[in-house]
Amino acid sequence: MKRLIAMALLLAAPAAAQEKPEAPAPASLSIQAAGTDDQDAGKAASLTGPESRLQVVVTATLPGGRLVDWTGAAKYTAAPEGIVTIDETGLVTPLKEGTATVTAAAGAATASVPVKVEHYVDPPLVNFPNQVTPIFTKLGCNSGGCHGKSGGQNGFRLSLLGFEPGDDYEYLVKESLGRRLFPAAPEHSLLLMKGIASVPHGGGDKLKKDSHEYRLLVRWITQGMPYGKDDAAMVTGISVFPRHRVMAPDGRQQLMVIAHYSDGSAENVTRTARYEPNDKLMASVNESGRVQMLGTPGEVAVMIRYQDRVAVAEATVPLGAEVANLPPVKSIVDDHVFAKLKKLGLPPSPVADDATFLRRVSLDITGRLPAAEVARKFLEDPDPAKREKAIERLLESEAYADFFANKWSAILRNRRDKDTYASGNFAFYQWIRAALDQNQPYDKFVREIVTASGEISDHPAVAWYRQVSKDFEQVEDVAQLFLGVRIQCARCHHHPFEKWSRKDYYGMAAFFSRVGRKEGLSPDEQRVFHQRGIAGSKDPKTGAALKPTGLGDQPLDIPAEEDPRLDLANWLTKPTNPFFARTLVNRYWKHFFGRGIVDPEDDMRDTNPASNKELLDGLAKKFVESGYDLKELIRTICRSSTYQLSSLPNAQNASDRQSFSRYYPRRLNAEVLLDSIDQMNGSATTFTGMPAGSRAVQIPDHGGVNSYFLTVFGKPGGASACECERSVDASLAQSLHLLNSPDIHGKMSSGVAKELSGDMKRTDTEKVQELYFRAFGRPASEHEMKYAIAHLTKFEAKDRPAAYEDIVWALINTKEFLFNH
Amino acid sequence: MLTITGDRYQSCDGLQRRDFMKIGALGLGGLALPDLLRLEAKDGKKTNSKALINVHLSGGPSHQDMWDLKPEAPSEVRGEFRPIPTNVPGMEICELFPKLAKMADKFAIIRGMVGSVDEHSYSTAMTGYRESDLKSVGGHPSIGSVVSRLSMASADRALPYVSLMGHVTPGYLGPVHQPYVPDGGGKSNLRLGKINADRLKGRTDLLNELDTMRRDVDANHQMEAMDSFTQKAVEVVTSGRMGDALDLEKEDRATVKRYLGDSNGQGRSGGNRNFLMARRLIEAGVRCIAMSWGGWDTHENNFKTLRDQLPALDMGVSALIQDLTDRGMLDDVSIVLWGEFGRSPKITNNAGRDHWPRVSAAFMAGGGIRAGQVVGASDRQAADAVTPVHLHQIHSTLYRNLGIDVETTQFIDPSGRPQYLLDNRNPVKELV
Repeated sequence: MKRLIAMALLLAAPAAAQEKPEAPAPASLSIQAAGTDDQDAGKAASLTGPESRLQVVVTATLPGGRLVDWTGAAKYTAAPEGIVTIDETGLVTPLKEGTATVTAAAGAATASVPVKVEHYVDPPLVNFPNQVTPIFTKLGCNSGGCHGKSGGQNGFRLSLLGFEPGDDYEYLVKESLGRRLFPAAPEHSLLLMKGIASVPHGGGDKLKKDSHEYRLLVRWITQGMPYGKDDAAMVTGISVFPRHRVMAPDGRQQLMVIAHYSDGSAENVTRTARYEPNDKLMASVNESGRVQMLGTPGEVAVMIRYQDRVAVAEATVPLGAEVANLPPVKSIVDDHVFAKLKKLGLPPSPVADDATFLRRVSLDITGRLPAAEVARKFLEDPDPAKREKAIERLLESEAYADFFANKWSAILRNRRDKDTYASGNFAFYQWIRAALDQNQPYDKFVREIVTASGEISDHPAVAWYRQVSKDFEQVEDVAQLFLGVRIQCARCHHHPFEKWSRKDYYGMAAFFSRVGRKEGLSPDEQRVFHQRGIAGSKDPKTGAALKPTGLGDQPLDIPAEEDPRLDLANWLTKPTNPFFARTLVNRYWKHFFGRGIVDPEDDMRDTNPASNKELLDGLAKKFVESGYDLKELIRTICRSSTYQLSSLPNAQNASDRQSFSRYYPRRLNAEVLLDSIDQMNGSATTFTGMPAGSRAVQIPDHGGVNSYFLTVFGKPGGASACECERSVDASLAQSLHLLNSPDIHGKMSSGVAKELSGDMKRTDTEKVQELYFRAFGRPASEHEMKYAIAHLTKFEAKDRPAAYEDIVWALINTKEFLFNH
Repeated sequence: MLTITGDRYQSCDGLQRRDFMKIGALGLGGLALPDLLRLEAKDGKKTNSKALINVHLSGGPSHQDMWDLKPEAPSEVRGEFRPIPTNVPGMEICELFPKLAKMADKFAIIRGMVGSVDEHSYSTAMTGYRESDLKSVGGHPSIGSVVSRLSMASADRALPYVSLMGHVTPGYLGPVHQPYVPDGGGKSNLRLGKINADRLKGRTDLLNELDTMRRDVDANHQMEAMDSFTQKAVEVVTSGRMGDALDLEKEDRATVKRYLGDSNGQGRSGGNRNFLMARRLIEAGVRCIAMSWGGWDTHENNFKTLRDQLPALDMGVSALIQDLTDRGMLDDVSIVLWGEFGRSPKITNNAGRDHWPRVSAAFMAGGGIRAGQVVGASDRQAADAVTPVHLHQIHSTLYRNLGIDVETTQFIDPSGRPQYLLDNRNPVKELV
């Protein structure tokens, strides 16, 4: 909350007024204007034409060697006077032709850079794609909310985020009989009058009169709206300075962005690029590219976009506390997590007690509470290896396969759209479950899905092709599920936050171009086969023919008789695939920690970096080396001290949400919660079409079984490949159900309360103890015992069942029960 | 509305210089509920009383026999009914709506409505899109589900979204945001049953003693959110407010009679019970009601069916508008009546009309719109729009009435794509 107010204030306050670094005076300064490598400090920069500008970055080296941004605090001068001007934010603009030296000073330290102004009186023709289109992007004119949406806004359309400058030129210059631009009196062009809202404009005054952008547009119109030569230089990439910086929790950093052109030239585009932090609670960035940290330690990245290029600037924000007494290192997980915590100065919570560990690991591996007896024995067991043994026992249990089959069945979209799907869905579920139960290597599991052919009854993975029936769905699901890439955007246009273009998308689509289908043996069970022919696809916009191409890889020539999906499977599962293993280990990490190393877990991109890259790489490498052994991965995770840390925060790590300095509690998912209530209470739920005694996690497909409880607590419908379809949002309907439903009341009155109240052998204390072991795998505390007994004594003997029901009800409604913690 | 400041999406409304993204966009994590509640409190915002009654006239009502009559059209087109004047000069509706004709200053007719699809479904009325749109991520959400998603951040005192027509899709917002359907299980949860108030209090007291886990272990504040909902649930159940709202026996008899008529709800006027229930639920704090009324797929006996249904609809809708007016709620509560499409100009051999997605009409009242007017127009045979109004514009107007800014509200769908609520986000300008 304080952070939010701080953020609001920062955004509202003038940029320069608050530049008061409280650090000691710099030992030395450096200034960069023309390049983003460290050795580019002091490198001469140039400004071409009166509408040019550039942003400098000044870096101070403090006594002791720490690097701090001094851009907003330095005193600037330019000599000789009259050639350029520089403001207090480090923005340089030209005044006349010549070369000036820009000097930044802080105390005794200074740094200089020469800036040459060229073509001030004879500006070159404006290049539309390189100079005009980026303005529309910067001002938001071509965003998906405005003129960039398909069909445009109020009759005026621009390509989304300027990805098609050729189209933009058509729309602007040629459409509407040229009424949008008026070279004879440029400032009377509709484009400008709308932009500054001197005529009514739904979007308001996006453009400021006489601003840099305004003047550039006027220049372009005055010049007769040139597009630029066909062979004009194109942007081939952007780079940012600094790429990484260690920053204080309240630190700030001016970024500088350089666009690199195909002719080898470069341009400082800092003020035209767009910025977005990946964690808005950690950092904000203003329009000028200045990053402000918001007080939370950890790793944060700022995505920078210019034209169709992206770059990323990363910051590590240490808390700087002493990290002593680390728990023992039990696996590579601990090596990497503890290294990160030391770097951040973020002390972890201690390892959780046995009861907490057993409940946590049972829920995470099997979706089950530990049975009361198991929990009792575990607490009494003196074996120092008992945690490792518990992990083994859980991994070997049937419940492990049930639970993980439930997880995979949802994201593999095993959904019952029609009643006739039931048998195929059951077969697919059994196939998934068997693969997990037998610990089939993950690469083989994926290969069998991607290359599935034949009848569902013989090859159940064909059911995936029944549900994921269109080629675009196959591309998108494979990318999201197995590669952690959300490539959907690139179906129609260049991906806004990624390097992927339509070429990449349709290169992937080509792998699915030979999927044939014919009527199968049973209704709605098509047979999938390889349709002989050369695999390929077309970019729907340009018509360009594309060969099958793995993301970021080379096009493949696949003979007509070969099923291209085999090549796709080979590409996916080769050990050097940069996405495949990382995606899986990250997905599983999220399962056990509630947050991915990259989060969301299926949105892995350079601009959304891992909070701990070494951890992700290390786990992925180990996973590949293990032969894609899923159980071994789970072992590696669960044996670690990191996984076993307490969720209770210490004085420093309460706000940590990404560095795994403690366990992050999360609500039990719908199926696990229902099963846990039944398990704790000794009751059962009946599911239509399922054998008696079935548990909710054993429901094989989605949409076939109706359960109010499961729906209201967010069981996914198997509609997408995203785990995010499963919701753990709280709602009033959930609370009403737990509080006051005949469903829950019925369970209470027919369950363990009845048994305990009728049990004359045990004392109330023993019975309450039994309930605590059932619910939490631990004995009741003195306080808890006191209140429970006090509650019991309020009731007469004949009402004892009701008294016990109340206790059972209260226990399943505690956060300790509803959450895995 | 609560927003996270961001930078990815620029707003188009010209009011906000910064970009906004709605709280808790799917998969992005976000501000915690208690933060939001505190922020709202700081803003001085009161509980939102804006609400919507979205009425689906299932089957495709005959626009040219109800709201857009063409008395000058040839006999094979114009149909059996005559238009009558209303209390707004120049605004005419079907003669079978005599009660509504006396209150035309309180509603608007949208003619020339386009954007329908030839598909029997509530989908366009509830979501603005056909069922198959975005199906690969669960489809588009219905308005009520959007309200439910956004009202997580508000101090709502009741269930945000109730459907009196069974399941309505929550689309990509997921099952947690599907409507509450007050039948069977759903209904009984609202009322004290086996467990009386004393026992419930005993239980919640016990829970308060035993539920001692430190809330600060959960930096995402889900625990506090659940605590807050549990408190509301206790209040809903013990006050009986929602349960009473569903019980028409608790309503004044004379009022009931205005909805149900002399037959007491026998026959067609039975559907009017839901109008009354909708009003009662909104008074109890519900934000969005989805309901359907009648059957309108009149391939045969169009005129007989309408002769049967229209007077009952006239009675129900006029009673609802009157009630809301009397209670001073009409400016807060939007009502819309529409179907999946219009019906064909040419009358068939069976005195019926076939599907006609090219053009149809809608009826809107309340929510602060400028009532007492006809917006849009169809041609002389009610076959095509002359002045079209896209159905998204009506959705946009309804969202606006609810205080939801469609220009800035976005959700991230399960495939990671930012989604606006509507493609055509301009409200019907004559109405706002």
